[in-house]
Amino acid sequence: MASIETATIQVDQELDVRGLNCPMPLVKARQAILKLDVGRILKVISTDRGSVKDFQGWAKAANNVTLLAQSEETDSGGKTLYLHYVQRTK
Amino acid sequence: MESVLLTVDAVADLQATGHGEIFVQELFAALQHPSNLLLLDVRNDEEFRLWRIEGRYTPETLHLPYFFFLEDEDNAVAQVKERIQDRRPVVVVCAKGGASGYVAERLRAHGVRAINLAGGMVEWGDFYDVRAVAQQPDYRIYQVDRVARGCVSWVFISRGEAAVVDPLRFGERYLKLLKQQGAQLKLLLDTHAHADHISSGPELAQMTGAAYHLHPYDAIHPFDMLPARMQYEMLHDGQRFTLGALQIEVIHTPGHTLGQVNFLVTTPDGEAFCCTGDNLFIESFGRPDLGGQGERWAPVVYDTIFGVMKRRVPARAWILPGHYASPAEANPDGLYMKRLEDLWRENRSLHFTDKERFVEFVLSHLPYMPPQYMEIKRVNIGLSNPSLDEADELELGKNICALSG
Repeated sequence: MASIETATIQVDQELDVRGLNCPMPLVKARQAILKLDVGRILKVISTDRGSVKDFQGWAKAANNVTLLAQSEETDSGGKTLYLHYVQRTK
Repeated sequence: MESVLLTVDAVADLQATGHGEIFVQELFAALQHPSNLLLLDVRNDEEFRLWRIEGRYTPETLHLPYFFFLEDEDNAVAQVKERIQDRRPVVVVCAKGGASGYVAERLRAHGVRAINLAGGMVEWGDFYDVRAVAQQPDYRIYQVDRVARGCVSWVFISRGEAAVVDPLRFGERYLKLLKQQGAQLKLLLDTHAHADHISSGPELAQMTGAAYHLHPYDAIHPFDMLPARMQYEMLHDGQRFTLGALQIEVIHTPGHTLGQVNFLVTTPDGEAFCCTGDNLFIESFGRPDLGGQGERWAPVVYDTIFGVMKRRVPARAWILPGHYASPAEANPDGLYMKRLEDLWRENRSLHFTDKERFVEFVLSHLPYMPPQYMEIKRVNIGLSNPSLDEADELELGKNICALSG
């Protein structure tokens, strides 16, 4: 995964999966990316810590996506958010 | 064949009654016997490499992350079916039971006899197996084993009084057992300040008013050189406790830590049980380097094992250790205990007569030291107070307290 400054990524769509546990963040991200055109970028906002490694593994296993970047943020309630930037490549 | 669980028929029954999942205690019971199941682990590579399910009889395990089932279900299902040509049952496991539930359901849709492990590795990691060591009119002894980590603690009960040796993190499990047994917690005894797991001794002392005991040498952090910030009673060599009809003698057994002690428990019917903590194990013995002083402490291990233990512990005493590296070390009843005289013969890492060669052997068989071990020691003497999640992370995976190889 390339280390890209996430603020510079041109996000085409956001997917909010806060509160959902494994496997739902990946299931929903997969559905969302298939609705995007090739080259478009999806930003996924998750509260599931396990999603970090899972998105890395998924991007390797799938032949139509690239994981551009991942980052962490804290929301106003002090909860950690895990952000994933996924591009459809095929 | 004693085990009926997790045979093809048992799984069919589970499914007929609408149960697509089993609980960790059922899986643990099933793994006490040879079984025909296939364990399908659907976590990501990193998690799988770190730790996995092992039992007395570890079943054949297939690792195939759940996102392969999302990406190309037919292909993933085919990989599973190839491994179960005889229609064996499949137990699916993931971190928390969510993704494995999804995979199990997809497999069932393809005609595979798949069941989900409820709660996944989190539940497996938190599972404590409780079993009786001795049930005599005057005393009872229980082994409390955190199976995923290979950590063993011991509960002694006599005439309504109870002692817990090396209590593991979830203290309420012991209180539940003592309530069932109608016993009052009197003594909390740690053989040493542990580096691999968090002790519930100080917490149980606060909850119940029972006194928590530790040797004062272990109340100083070996790296930070800072004194403990928690309440404890100081143990010393030769100290004696009475617990109902049981006598407990404290024996100072330094080496793994400087303040390690063993508890020699003698019973009115002439048996003796020695809780050795991280001194002697059924296989191997405790490493001397977790305090950062392996070269200095290895000769001390020799003096303890071949001096103190030979002199002070009766050959017929049952050794009750604090760890095991493999479930194969248990006896047929699932108990990690062996008489000292048999240990001298059967524990091959004790076959030394020369101190120099012993030290050389020890120093050339030191496994990797997990970095979190320093922090766990801080927690155990009150220098650090982790959240529940942080504590979970500190304790992840199996203990590495014995020598390797």
